[in-house]
Amino acid sequence: MLNPLLRGLSLALWAVVLLQSSVDGRLDLLLRAAFHPLVSAAGVVLLVLALLQVLTGLRNREGTTGQRDGRLSVITAAIALLLILWPPNPSFADLASQRPGDDTTAQSLSFVLPPAQRSLTDWVRLLRSQPDPQLFDGDPVRISGFLLPVPGQPPQIARLLVRCCLADATPVGLPVRWPTDQPLPRADQWLAIEGTMAAENDQLVVVPAVIRPIPRPARPLEP
Amino acid sequence: MLVPVRLNTAWALFQGLLLEAVPFLLIGVLIASLARWFSPGGAWLRRLPAHPIAGPLSGAALGFALPACECGNVPVARRLLVSGAPVGTALGFLFAAPVLNPIVIASTWAAFPNQPWLLLARPLGAVVVALALALLLRLLPEAELLRADLLEERRLNQPLAAVSLLERRTGLIGLPDDQPPVLPTPVRSDWREVLQHGSREFLNLALLLVAGCAVAALVQALLPRQWLLAVGGAPTLSILALMALSLVLSVCSSVDAFLALGFAAQVTPGALLAFLLLGPVIDIKLVGLLGLLFKPRGLLLTAAGSILVVLLIGQWVNLWRL
Repeated sequence: MLNPLLRGLSLALWAVVLLQSSVDGRLDLLLRAAFHPLVSAAGVVLLVLALLQVLTGLRNREGTTGQRDGRLSVITAAIALLLILWPPNPSFADLASQRPGDDTTAQSLSFVLPPAQRSLTDWVRLLRSQPDPQLFDGDPVRISGFLLPVPGQPPQIARLLVRCCLADATPVGLPVRWPTDQPLPRADQWLAIEGTMAAENDQLVVVPAVIRPIPRPARPLEP
Repeated sequence: MLVPVRLNTAWALFQGLLLEAVPFLLIGVLIASLARWFSPGGAWLRRLPAHPIAGPLSGAALGFALPACECGNVPVARRLLVSGAPVGTALGFLFAAPVLNPIVIASTWAAFPNQPWLLLARPLGAVVVALALALLLRLLPEAELLRADLLEERRLNQPLAAVSLLERRTGLIGLPDDQPPVLPTPVRSDWREVLQHGSREFLNLALLLVAGCAVAALVQALLPRQWLLAVGGAPTLSILALMALSLVLSVCSSVDAFLALGFAAQVTPGALLAFLLLGPVIDIKLVGLLGLLFKPRGLLLTAAGSILVVLLIGQWVNLWRL
């Protein structure tokens, strides 16, 4: 009887991993939104399976016993517990520093927003389709992202683009002309920046007027 | 800081890969369990063609009926083998079905709507790889290819003519040589039994998936991708680099097209196709799962054969497209 119950418990813990991830914002941090319903649905299915497993285990008292089965249930339950108790806390700057920048031209903007309404990703995609920085010199800019230090170059304000999960995240960023009288915050700090765009050395640079540290947004990944 | 930054990143990568793969694993196990419930004896599976070419082709075509990605289709392939399906057919399914199924074709289309050649080349390439591997693995006798426990279950469902008495440890004797034994359980399995078996199978595969995702996440966090992508422009090196990347990333075939999109602009077309063909057949995560079917020698032959064939296909595509 013990084995079906242990198995039910392990399945239930895995269901909790998936369902908890769906409600506590973990999925927003790890997966593209299109996959979220799939994870939640899998959690519900696992929960139903766990309940059925426990019910049949309670009724069927002569259930089979096997050490290997018991061990498997305990190990998988322990892993699920670890996943529940240790939420992910990735460093986006660390991840971005190891990745090549996003280079896709396919996802260009279908329409162009006014400058102050463009997100960081909108700016990067616009620049990709119209690479002349002079076109945007002096435009107002209001963007948010995390601070990505670049060795030997001005720091960038960046975002991660994700097509599936964090494993394929690619960074997009814009260089920032950091004010000399302000210390550079730690890498990974989320910032909201208001200012203007300036063309410098054939590239577009954000010249901030206001820099405000902000908490990491609930949905930090961009599609 | 209690936990090093890099470890935190690896932990998040691990969770991302795992949370994305578990639903697909569950779909695969559910499909396998349903197949087990609806066909307890699996008699129709034994009637599938055993021809060296037609067998793998019919197995590959099964992908349209049982849409599962590569982590989900290992239990289905195991069920096919246990039920006595010809090895070639099961291998055709194992290697081609992760690509030749509606979900994967739809995701490839969604990722590359402007590259119709890829929509044709990917399924075609998957069939070529599956055929080549099925022919290659025929060189090994079943007893050297398949794991002992799988082989034992399989013997129960095979006609005596297919296996000599010396080769089998279990089975029925005194039956006509050319007919498979009629096992004494023609009734549909009890749903509780299917539930127990399916749950055990899910936990078993989940454990292997955890191990694979952990390795993939650690390698990803420690190995800079620029190393691989720096060689993206060279015809042969780019193919090898993307093949290595697909081995490391270990992402399901149902979503790998979106990953490929990320570096499509930086690599040769042959490398792109190689990435999309190799991942569904073998990667770090799959080594553990395929270990449920094959003995080490079979696994090694699968890895070597698939790498060679995919490299050749990549080269041909580069000759054609570059």
